Amino acid sequence: MDTTVPKLDPTPLVDAAYYAAVTAALRAEATKLLAEGTVTAVIGYVAGRRAGTAMPAVITALERANDLIFSPGCQNNLALYLTKAKKEIRKSGKVAIVAKGCDLRALAGLMAENQLKRENLHLMGLACAGVYGANADRTQPLSAATIARKCRECTVHLPEGVDFIAGDLPQLPELAPLEGEELARLEAMTPQERWAFWKEQFSRCIRCLACRQVCPFCFCEQCLCDRNRPQGIETTPRPAGNMGWHIVRAMHLTGRCGGCAECERACPMDIPLNLLNRKMAQEMKELFDFEAGMTPQDKGPLSSYQEDDDQSFIK
Amino acid sequence: MHAEKTDHDFEPKIVAFVCTWCTYAGADLAGTSRMQYPPNVRVLKFPCTGRIDPVFILRAFQKGADGILVSGCHPGDCHYMAGNFHARRRFAAFRQLLEFIGVDLQRLQFSWVSAAEGGKWVEVVTELTERVRSMGPMAEFKELETEEHWSAQLNTPELQEAFQSI
Repeated sequence: MDTTVPKLDPTPLVDAAYYAAVTAALRAEATKLLAEGTVTAVIGYVAGRRAGTAMPAVITALERANDLIFSPGCQNNLALYLTKAKKEIRKSGKVAIVAKGCDLRALAGLMAENQLKRENLHLMGLACAGVYGANADRTQPLSAATIARKCRECTVHLPEGVDFIAGDLPQLPELAPLEGEELARLEAMTPQERWAFWKEQFSRCIRCLACRQVCPFCFCEQCLCDRNRPQGIETTPRPAGNMGWHIVRAMHLTGRCGGCAECERACPMDIPLNLLNRKMAQEMKELFDFEAGMTPQDKGPLSSYQEDDDQSFIK
Repeated sequence: MHAEKTDHDFEPKIVAFVCTWCTYAGADLAGTSRMQYPPNVRVLKFPCTGRIDPVFILRAFQKGADGILVSGCHPGDCHYMAGNFHARRRFAAFRQLLEFIGVDLQRLQFSWVSAAEGGKWVEVVTELTERVRSMGPMAEFKELETEEHWSAQLNTPELQEAFQSI
């Protein structure tokens, strides 16, 4: 499934001066931090080899601070580079990390799960207007046609609880909430139709596990789904295992997912994984009044309980 | 003494994930009290409902269960203080996920059965068995289990020909 809709309005959402301003602010802050020695590294984006792309970089040298950029190509959730799997970066001491609002929710979640310490981080928030969708034409500016689906209904353009905010948020137009509409459409279906929909979607899955690799919350050293003896989920890309894997992935992210939709972006088969995440986030809001936020919360909804939780479904 | 024997067209497989401290003892009480309940239920004993991973439920469906019962101590009676409180939240979420994927929740039953409630165990098991019996076999997950590749259907003449030539 295409994560962007090409038929939509191609007029740019923001002008280029905004990106220049954000980039300049990031560079100035990074230079200051590295020169003062406040941080040992800045995790940010540098320009990619092709036009309109950006790639994550860990910048430790002062002279490279001016390589930092912000553009609509800065899709990656950099929180990934601070999780358990990438221990060497965290060991280097206090680091600065560039974070969009959605990335910040992941960082806050990781802090709440004791994976990160706030005092070891210098959070450089971005006043983010949105990024490109996975299959967007990067020669075009950011527009209703090229923006990612998650950004269309973003509620975290401006980060909170950060040490520094780069840039000022421009006036952004309201965009049609495509993902919300898709979710409503699925919810209105009968269970049989929904089963058919997901069966069709998961049939494309090749079990490359990019969704797991790119998720800041999938930091287990050994994934349940890789285990055999006893085997929980088949590891081959067969129908049964695919269905199992995607159910387990959604379940393990329930009440944790920050909604950065990296899983959906990284998916080579364009499976709309963020629909599952959004659905579960919605359920968490309804059932336990929990919403992933930009500041660390005490405990997630599934690692805490209340004595008077709803049990109408239990006989 | 015995209930009248009836032959059914379909005998559902019911898998019960129970906690050892309450429901297992409750089922034991039902047995020692000679209460009759459907033999369709396969009881699997766990230390606590908090130990019951949603994966177990998936696995049971995939391996042929038609209905699943998860049962443990009443809230506040958990042997491990809070295991069933956590389980309650987890299964509240998991139910919603399964429903969104398209599984009929009528096949999945959660209950609290204490060690003294042999009668309730009989009631829960009988009700679930009869409900699942009337719904027929659970086809969805079992079909997935036997399918090889959804994308490899020989649905074009070219593919048919290629397949024949092997």
